[in-house]
Amino acid sequence: MKKNKWLLLLAFVLIISLLAACGGGDEEEAPEEDDETEEGTGDDGGDDGEETQPEGPVYGGTITGAMHTAPDGQFNPIFYETTYDSNILSFTHNSLLRQNDNLEYEPNIATEWEFSEDNRSVTFKLRDDVYWHDGEQFTADDVVFTYRSIAHPDYVGAGGQRSSYAAQLVGFEEYRAGETDEFPGVVAEDDFTVTFHYKEPNVTALMHSNFTPIPEHIFADVPVAEMPEHPASQQAGEVIGTGPFQLASMIEGQEYRLEKFEDYWQGEPYLDAIVWRIVNQDIMLSLLETGEIDFIGDPSGFQPADYAMVEDMDHITIIEQRDFGYQLLGFIHNYVPEEDLEEGVFVPENYIENPRISNPQVRQAIAHAIDREALIGDGPGDGLLHGRGELMNAPIAPQFWAYDDVNPKEYDYNVDLANELLDDAGYIDVNDDGFREDPDGNEWVLTMVYPSGNEIRERSAPIIVEDLEAVGIKVDLLSPFDMSAYTGALTETKEFDLYLLGWSLGTGDPDPSGLWSADAGFNFGRWYNPEAEELRIAAVTPPDAFDQAYRTEVYSDWQVMFQEDLPALILYAQNMLFAHSNQMQGINPSVASFNRDNHLWWLLPEDN
Amino acid sequence: MYQYIIRRILIFIPMLFFLTVIVFALLKAAPGDPYSRILDPEISAQDLEDLREAGGLNESIVVQYVNWVTAATKGDFGESFRYVGRDVSDLIMSRLPNTIYLSIFALAITLIVAIPIGIYSARNPYSPLDYFATGFGFFGLAVPNFFFGLVAIYLLSVKLGWFPAQGYMSSSSGDGFAAFIDRLHHLVLPGLTLGLASTASYMRYMRSEVLSVLGSDYIRTAKAKGMTERTVLYKHTLRNAMIPIITLFGFEIGALVSGAVITEGVFTFPGIGMLLIESIGTRDYPVIMAITLLLGVFILVGNLIADILYSIVDPRIRYD
Amino acid sequence: METKELPKEMKMDNPQGDDNKKIKKGKTPFQLAMGRFMKNKAAVISVVVLLLIIVAVIAAPLITSHDPTESNLRNIEKGPSSEHYLGTDSSGRDTFARMLYGGRVSLIVGFSAMIFTLVIGVILGSIAGYYGGRVDSIIMRFADMMLILPFLVLVLVVVSILPKVTIGIFVAVIALTSWPGLTRIVRGSYLSLREQEFVLGAKAIGARDFRIIFKHFIPNAIGPIVVNATLMMASYIIAESALSFIGFGIPQPTPTWGNMLSEAQSIRILQNNPEAWIPPGLAILVTVLCINFIGDGLRDAFDPKSSKRS
Repeated sequence: MKKNKWLLLLAFVLIISLLAACGGGDEEEAPEEDDETEEGTGDDGGDDGEETQPEGPVYGGTITGAMHTAPDGQFNPIFYETTYDSNILSFTHNSLLRQNDNLEYEPNIATEWEFSEDNRSVTFKLRDDVYWHDGEQFTADDVVFTYRSIAHPDYVGAGGQRSSYAAQLVGFEEYRAGETDEFPGVVAEDDFTVTFHYKEPNVTALMHSNFTPIPEHIFADVPVAEMPEHPASQQAGEVIGTGPFQLASMIEGQEYRLEKFEDYWQGEPYLDAIVWRIVNQDIMLSLLETGEIDFIGDPSGFQPADYAMVEDMDHITIIEQRDFGYQLLGFIHNYVPEEDLEEGVFVPENYIENPRISNPQVRQAIAHAIDREALIGDGPGDGLLHGRGELMNAPIAPQFWAYDDVNPKEYDYNVDLANELLDDAGYIDVNDDGFREDPDGNEWVLTMVYPSGNEIRERSAPIIVEDLEAVGIKVDLLSPFDMSAYTGALTETKEFDLYLLGWSLGTGDPDPSGLWSADAGFNFGRWYNPEAEELRIAAVTPPDAFDQAYRTEVYSDWQVMFQEDLPALILYAQNMLFAHSNQMQGINPSVASFNRDNHLWWLLPEDN
Repeated sequence: MYQYIIRRILIFIPMLFFLTVIVFALLKAAPGDPYSRILDPEISAQDLEDLREAGGLNESIVVQYVNWVTAATKGDFGESFRYVGRDVSDLIMSRLPNTIYLSIFALAITLIVAIPIGIYSARNPYSPLDYFATGFGFFGLAVPNFFFGLVAIYLLSVKLGWFPAQGYMSSSSGDGFAAFIDRLHHLVLPGLTLGLASTASYMRYMRSEVLSVLGSDYIRTAKAKGMTERTVLYKHTLRNAMIPIITLFGFEIGALVSGAVITEGVFTFPGIGMLLIESIGTRDYPVIMAITLLLGVFILVGNLIADILYSIVDPRIRYD
Repeated sequence: METKELPKEMKMDNPQGDDNKKIKKGKTPFQLAMGRFMKNKAAVISVVVLLLIIVAVIAAPLITSHDPTESNLRNIEKGPSSEHYLGTDSSGRDTFARMLYGGRVSLIVGFSAMIFTLVIGVILGSIAGYYGGRVDSIIMRFADMMLILPFLVLVLVVVSILPKVTIGIFVAVIALTSWPGLTRIVRGSYLSLREQEFVLGAKAIGARDFRIIFKHFIPNAIGPIVVNATLMMASYIIAESALSFIGFGIPQPTPTWGNMLSEAQSIRILQNNPEAWIPPGLAILVTVLCINFIGDGLRDAFDPKSSKRS
């Protein structure tokens, strides 16, 4: 393992903290649809007063941001569910660590950390100048309390979904089962030192230890089962965090007002207030143009089709960055047998092969038949993404060290090659109906499904069908499913062959297990390749996995195998498009969030 | 009459019961549950399973229904799955007033505009105002209201800045009268959008009904007896013309709410309609069931009122 | 437009009901009604326009050589050109071709759902309104039942259970949820007729129920029924677009006027691409207008109250 001990607080060094061998092997990935808070919230090494912009930041001012869907109103980090709620929490709460642009962990309200010799424990030193919004000091007990809460027997019953953060800690099972009151997994050594004890050497310990703390002094007497309905979880003025802003008031479903927390540990935020307004996506840009809103940031930014229009707004700056995720065309390799479905288990050895696309040549032909570049387009007025997207050739976020953009096979758009591959594989049109039959001469129809909810993805479905029909593959495109119905249908139905889906990835660690391990629920194609499994597991198995170079190599091999075997063709990664008024200064988005360093946001005075 | 009303109200109970049975069965027939849309590998399968267990989703449908009914009869509609830690009744009560204001506003526009103009049109057919009203009526029925809403936002809010485009109140609305005016100000665009179609159709109904009543024998008789047109109009015509209008009114309540789904969406107006469609998308059963029940009661009561009004307006209609 | 003076045709039509198959001066009531209808210029023009639209959508393959579902991502959101008369949509499909083929779908949806609703609504409304009493309460409670069943829940279930949302399913869902309104209206107008002298008279002389309903009730209620049928067809065409807007419409790539219009819902398209939304918007507007004018004309022509006895 590579131990990374930060000797300095990096207090005045801004981001450039590529401190050599650090950052290494202690992250874990969590690809997911909605979650962004733990990282990205925050602040960088405390450089109050150190800003040296030409015209220094000024205090004061209120800015308004827009999101198109209202938060659910659950502002407790251990219970919140949607990215919209996390858009509030990333202003009001802090986590122990933060990640830099290379996704390496850096100090935040923890100043340093140290792994034990056996790599089973990690000890964090906490800052002693961090205060909750109500003036109480933040201590190690808060961290302990937070983990005790998410490991608590009543936590899941109350609607909590984050127990995986605590699941690998010592004593988790016993405590959760209610057998004991002791939870030795997280221990406060003193007021500002906290140690996490893991059952096994944990490659992803930093990620798992980095859960946003909640205030013990508020929730201590609240039974976990009642925590979600407690005012401090829901009501403006009652939500207590350590972040630079506090939720001061709200008009539910419409407006959420965050006001600065003057005693913020990195110094008083520049802005007086940040207001979130809930605005229909279709008119968001009009409001941006008229100045009613100042920025469009997380979670979805603005639409690529609107790029040219925003570009034309003189008072608006666009920030474009790679998405932290991708859209894919999945291939259903295998089905889950009925018995396993009933038991709710995924046993790769029992999977039943889907004969319609079990031939890898067929999948490769499909990959060559789809014009992915056309989906992305060259610029405004071209393609579905108007040029605002990237091709990806492996399912790991390119922002990670683990992404290999050289070795995995790239499937260029090549109809001839696609036809050739299909001919070779024996899929030939024998009855002259314009579509290929399978090698036995039987009708060969692929059933394709897609979910609603992402307009561009919905539009891509019939276009992909056209591409496939152009090489003689007959496709039966079903109506879009709503998301709630989709996952079940993908898991249970045995008639599907192709599916569309998009993933937002977690920034914690590049480990793709959550999506692509053979027994993962979200591996909807039921891809099972024993060799790939070995690689995937090796990449997170100590002690080798504490060496980032080793992991990089293993992941490279895994990605090559992914592209060869094609559990899915990655269609595109749609760029994140943020926009803000030129008056807004100090914006410094992280790779996955617009909201980073919001205490440093400031507003140019009007007369400037 | 009172007996009739009581009997009708008694019928509500089995009807609402069947309604909940049907809706519950339908919801359970749809694939997916409150947790199936969660695509987040960070959440362990075991946790999801425990969540389902805790939420009672692993029980048989019958048990789930019985549990729901038992609690509902005691006024407990449970907790929302999606809005963690929120009571359904609390959630609905936070949204319901908005929808009610919106509906009342839309209905008020409808009645204030449609009835007088409809009457005027019928009395002065083919006058310029009649043509205008007819034209407007046709137009109002021919434009999808989401599109009308968008265009209204674009023109009246974005371009001219007359009305707020989104939401139901501003944060700095003050209180008392100022707050009331602020609410009204926010209601104008969504209210117009929601009321457009019904205004147009009421206007047409009114015109056609008044026209046909004006042409009937007894009116001509009354006129022949020397009554002024005005008297005839108000004593006889309107009463009869009101009958179909009242019918419309009865189920207008339901129509308003389904219209509200779209209008509220366009204007991000946090009301019941938006809550319903969100809840359907997330399979938030307790919320859907409660809204269904609530709307059911509204519509039934609306229809009952319509039927009672019938017999008041037209004494020939008897209920027994 | 029709004349302000309402036609005096009392002598030809006897409201007592013998204006049936007997040929009087060579004109049946239907012909009379048609005669009156033909005098209504707006209605006649509407018929012509609607026929033109219908012919155009039927003859779509002859009018355009473009495939309405064929996309071209290298040629999206382009303005009108000699190749694409109305430009292309966000997937590069020919808007003109989509207008024509989409019209087929929209008109079929509107028309078949209307007929479907009409049949259910008139039959049940007639039975309930004519017989009254127990039959009436059963039917009306059933109607109330349907009325309180939330449409969206039904649509959701149908959409998620069936793998493919076809036009037929769409029509069935619309019709099955909207008959109660018409039933109420039909019944409502019967209630007041039931006690009228000529009905009592007809009953007294032993006329069969069926005959009374058809000879007296339906003709007397024809105004509301026809106006409603037209309103319904119009509103179904619009409902289709509204359902598209909330994501429950007929899915891509099948074109309908409604999903074309709802695709144009961003301010950017509203502002910059009028060719994307004006054609479907206008098509819906014109079609719905025509249908309503025709409905008006029919009402005036058939309705004994509003035109026969002035």
